[in-house]
Amino acid sequence: MAKGTTEKIRRKAIALTAALVIGGFGAAAGSLFHWQILRGDEMRAEAMEQSLVTTSLPSMRGTIYDATGTKVLAQSASVWTVVLEPAYIAEDEALRRTVASGLSQILGLDEAELYEMTGEKGSYYNIIQRKVETDVRDRINQFKKEHDITSGIRLIDDYKRYYPYGTVASNILGFTGSENTGLEGLELYYDSELSGSAGRLISAKNALGTDMPFEYEQIVEAEDGHDLVLTIDETVQSILEKYLAIGIEKFQVKNGAVAVMMDVKTGGIVGLATNPNYDPNDPFAILDEKTAKAIEALPQDQQAEAEVAALQNQWRNKGVSDTYYPGSVYKMCVGSMGIEEGVITETSQFTCTGGVKLDGVKDTINCWQTVGHGTTTFREGLCNSCNPWFMHIGSLLGGEAFCRYREAFGMTDKTGIDLPGESYSIYHNFDEMRPVDLAVESFGQNFSITPIQMVTACAAVANGGYLVRPHVVDRIVDSDGNIVKTADTSYRRQVISEETSQLMADIMQQNTYSGTAKGGYVSGYRISGKTGTSEKVAQHAADPTKPMEYIASYCGFAPAEDPQYALLVFFDEPDRENNGGVYGGNAVAGPIFSAIMQEALPYLGIEVKYSEEEYGQLDMVTPSVVGMTIGEAQAKLQEDGLFFDVVGDGDDWDNKVIEQIPESGSQVPKEGFVILYTQGYDIDNALVEVPDFFGLDKVNASYLAAVSKLQVSINGVQDEGALAMLQNIEPGSKVKKGTVITLTFANNETTEAFANIAE
Amino acid sequence: MPAAGRTARGLERPPQNPARKREEERTAQTGQSRKGRRRRRIQHAVFSLGNGLDMPLFVFIMVLLAIGLVMLFSASYANSYYYEDNSYHYITRQGAFALFGIAAMLLISTFDYHRFHQLAMPIAVISIVLLLMVLLFGRVLKIKSIAPAEGVATRWLQLGPLGFQPSEVAKFALIVVFAHMISLYADKMGTFRYGVLPFVGVLGLFAALVFLENHMSGTLIILALGAILMFVGGTKPRWFVLGGALLAVLLVGYLVFGGKDDSGEGGVYQMDRIAGWLDPFGDKSGSADTWQIKQSLYAIGSGGLLGVGLGQSRQKYLYLPKPQNDFIFAIVCEELGMVGALVIMLLFALLIWRGVYISLHAKDRFGVILGLGLTFQVGLQAVLNICVVTNTIPNTGISLPFFSSGGTALLMLLGQMGILLNISRSSNVEKT
Repeated sequence: MAKGTTEKIRRKAIALTAALVIGGFGAAAGSLFHWQILRGDEMRAEAMEQSLVTTSLPSMRGTIYDATGTKVLAQSASVWTVVLEPAYIAEDEALRRTVASGLSQILGLDEAELYEMTGEKGSYYNIIQRKVETDVRDRINQFKKEHDITSGIRLIDDYKRYYPYGTVASNILGFTGSENTGLEGLELYYDSELSGSAGRLISAKNALGTDMPFEYEQIVEAEDGHDLVLTIDETVQSILEKYLAIGIEKFQVKNGAVAVMMDVKTGGIVGLATNPNYDPNDPFAILDEKTAKAIEALPQDQQAEAEVAALQNQWRNKGVSDTYYPGSVYKMCVGSMGIEEGVITETSQFTCTGGVKLDGVKDTINCWQTVGHGTTTFREGLCNSCNPWFMHIGSLLGGEAFCRYREAFGMTDKTGIDLPGESYSIYHNFDEMRPVDLAVESFGQNFSITPIQMVTACAAVANGGYLVRPHVVDRIVDSDGNIVKTADTSYRRQVISEETSQLMADIMQQNTYSGTAKGGYVSGYRISGKTGTSEKVAQHAADPTKPMEYIASYCGFAPAEDPQYALLVFFDEPDRENNGGVYGGNAVAGPIFSAIMQEALPYLGIEVKYSEEEYGQLDMVTPSVVGMTIGEAQAKLQEDGLFFDVVGDGDDWDNKVIEQIPESGSQVPKEGFVILYTQGYDIDNALVEVPDFFGLDKVNASYLAAVSKLQVSINGVQDEGALAMLQNIEPGSKVKKGTVITLTFANNETTEAFANIAE
Repeated sequence: MPAAGRTARGLERPPQNPARKREEERTAQTGQSRKGRRRRRIQHAVFSLGNGLDMPLFVFIMVLLAIGLVMLFSASYANSYYYEDNSYHYITRQGAFALFGIAAMLLISTFDYHRFHQLAMPIAVISIVLLLMVLLFGRVLKIKSIAPAEGVATRWLQLGPLGFQPSEVAKFALIVVFAHMISLYADKMGTFRYGVLPFVGVLGLFAALVFLENHMSGTLIILALGAILMFVGGTKPRWFVLGGALLAVLLVGYLVFGGKDDSGEGGVYQMDRIAGWLDPFGDKSGSADTWQIKQSLYAIGSGGLLGVGLGQSRQKYLYLPKPQNDFIFAIVCEELGMVGALVIMLLFALLIWRGVYISLHAKDRFGVILGLGLTFQVGLQAVLNICVVTNTIPNTGISLPFFSSGGTALLMLLGQMGILLNISRSSNVEKT
């Protein structure tokens, strides 16, 4: 047998051992130094990052209040997201069945699909329903308890947005998406203020995403969002929306409408109604039934596209996102420019021959009254809404001054209103402005502005010449009630002098009282108004086979002696073929303006001051006769010059009156009557159907009312030729005999339509 | 046992160690014999426990095993909890095998290693049969219950409750057969006929069979072990140059063209490992092996100099796949830091040094080669494993001796340590 070791073997073995140990472990030690010491922090950070899981804790979105600070327009409430964690139940067949059937019953989901989902072993987070409310959460918890389910179904806190007033102010409020982020309106514009900051729960998780047994947890509390208090008053907003809807129906308006009411001193928007609108609680439903039906009637492949277009249309805030030719309404600005610049005075004279022929323009630019207005003062010219008069002012001003004032009135800039999607206006720059452009811009054609720009300019005419900053949010308040930010109510610049402003208010008040803007007259208030009927020239030029479409608008402010509120009402494309041929600003927008002002001004605390003439026509307050005998009531009413009638048993004058229409304290026309109801009257006998007063003059309207045992109260234009345009109670509805129907009258003559110029 | 004790006795032999000789002479001269004798008696009592067993080696083994078990418990805790529903799943199995293994080690340490002369051929045959069984059940019959596949590799054999890697048996068989052959051809190792041809034949057969399992690391370790033993045994160095060149060509050929499994994915697999080695955080970091490397480096890096503390690893929470197996050292680095890792590497180095020391003092060539083979097997595995875990070399599936989970492997390891201890009983190592 060979000898154990030789020197050779020893040397080789030791060399190999040294190589292995020193080489191998040396290299490994070098690696350890590299990874642990040199790059240790980096590796640690990476390892931490992959094992720390951040869970977002939702923050409560701020509430939106109206101007009263008490009415909640938008609010968040707790809801829950139901999450399935299939990995924890996938192995248990019986449990899968239980979970699938239980959840399908509670949530109304497909059981087979749920069952399938519970089998996904690798899935730890599967949202099956979002935004379930308290009752559903309770049922799920009950179900988990009953079946002793500890894992597999999770409920995650979330919030849902509610809009208690439904469609009211929807185009201002906007709505939020599934992740509680604002998608439209104020919800979008003030998203960062409303949303607050989501909290974070940072915890260590194993690679499966479940909690690790060692404690590392850090909570950053969620910070609730701020509340918004608007300048929008829910009551005014509702009034605007109500009359806008009536106007759209009455005048068959095809392309939507806007009514904006502004506090002329602060720029706060008191109401901004646009139509179409939507219900922010369900923004993806098409609210307008006609549109919805039209889409249904489309071929299948076009429906989706049409639906998207309709949704975007109803979400759009027409008041800030659409531009239009202001038309003759703009004359209040051009008149102000002329007075302010001193090129005209109230009594300056100009002779209108019915049209103006400009050099280089083929057609004569006509006045709406083609025979001409003859020689008139500026005051008369504005009340006539005489186009040549204002072309005359434009030419006296010259392009430079005209453009300077136009810019000063804010026609070339966005107003900066705190709503998303404000459009830029479209106009001719001074250097590209031809005489014809100046001429037509002088009466409001061929340049486009947004309704909000127009009402802001109107406010400047009204308030002493100051251009305000329109805004809808009055203040931002944090969750503890501290004011974070208040709206900037300072004015941007003074456009015209106080004197010019006062003069314009006076001239415009005359316009409403006896001029072309009588449609906006409100008894008891001095309204300064200006009508506008703008032609959609570009649209007509694009497709001349279709008839010219118009925008009927009315813009004004009240009270004339101390202007407080400006209102612009604007109807886009009244369908004159189907509404009896009305499309002018005075006829269409005027009565709506009047009705809104008549209802909103008293609410806003503007005192009623009747002129003597108005006082004579004034309605009176109904005395209370309930509880009296018929005989006593008769005597009492006679004292007040009122007549009476009895419903029920009226033969015995000792019968007690149990009810009276009109009710005590409400308005009743002078020499009107009160219907007395006695015990056990027949309700069918007491109710009458409200007739349609539309288009009737005062005499006929009163006669029709009397036939139906109803009474009318007259609002709006008081002239002989005025016709009823609006009634405050819908035709066909049933009311008790004696009910007073308020009718708003307007002149049905269409003024100031602007004849198209071909170039 | 008594027979073994007689033949492997070293007690009556005069001390061969020159240092010892000098010391004795000095003792005789100075007359401090009483104190010296007492010290030697104590040393003798401690170091010759179990009749000449080498105490330092035994201690290194036991210390490594103890640390290994603690670390296995720590590293396997999370996986046990999440996948086996019992945090003690791995440690109870491993602990039981360790106890059984220690008993086996002590028993085998009394079993005269010379008997392996006769057992060499039977062991080799059994080993080859087992390797063929893997190929038969895994590759041909594809019976997963007997020969389960892991990715492209098929290296396990499940015989009843006993699961093990026949390549482990093959390594042992190779060591025994080579020790046998080298001691037999001791004088003719310089020739081609005796020193090269039979060895290459045996080595080629084992390596080829393991290679066919698609077991890359096993193949490399077998080739390395064979080459080391031949080199130490006396084969002329020029043959290694030739063999090395040949292997390099084969390896490159394999990496480029071959190594594919039935679905043709093998080649990509090995290249992926190299790509992952070069850039552990790169594009390939999604693939299983590179993911493991990436997570391993996160673990190692998190440990820093002093570690996050025993039991405090985060990476073991299912981030590092199978932390109880090949990558257990990463958890060691994370929990015990660079200092702890170096201590463990030092312990391995001491074990290797003592194993080599004992082997070189064996009284015959068979013992020398057998001991060196067993020592180098452990040493190679430890070094390669640690180098893989630290991304010093590309990822190959090598477990860490004494640490990695695997009862049968631990049992075999401790058995082999028993043989090494038996060699120590009869080697010319100072026992006092």
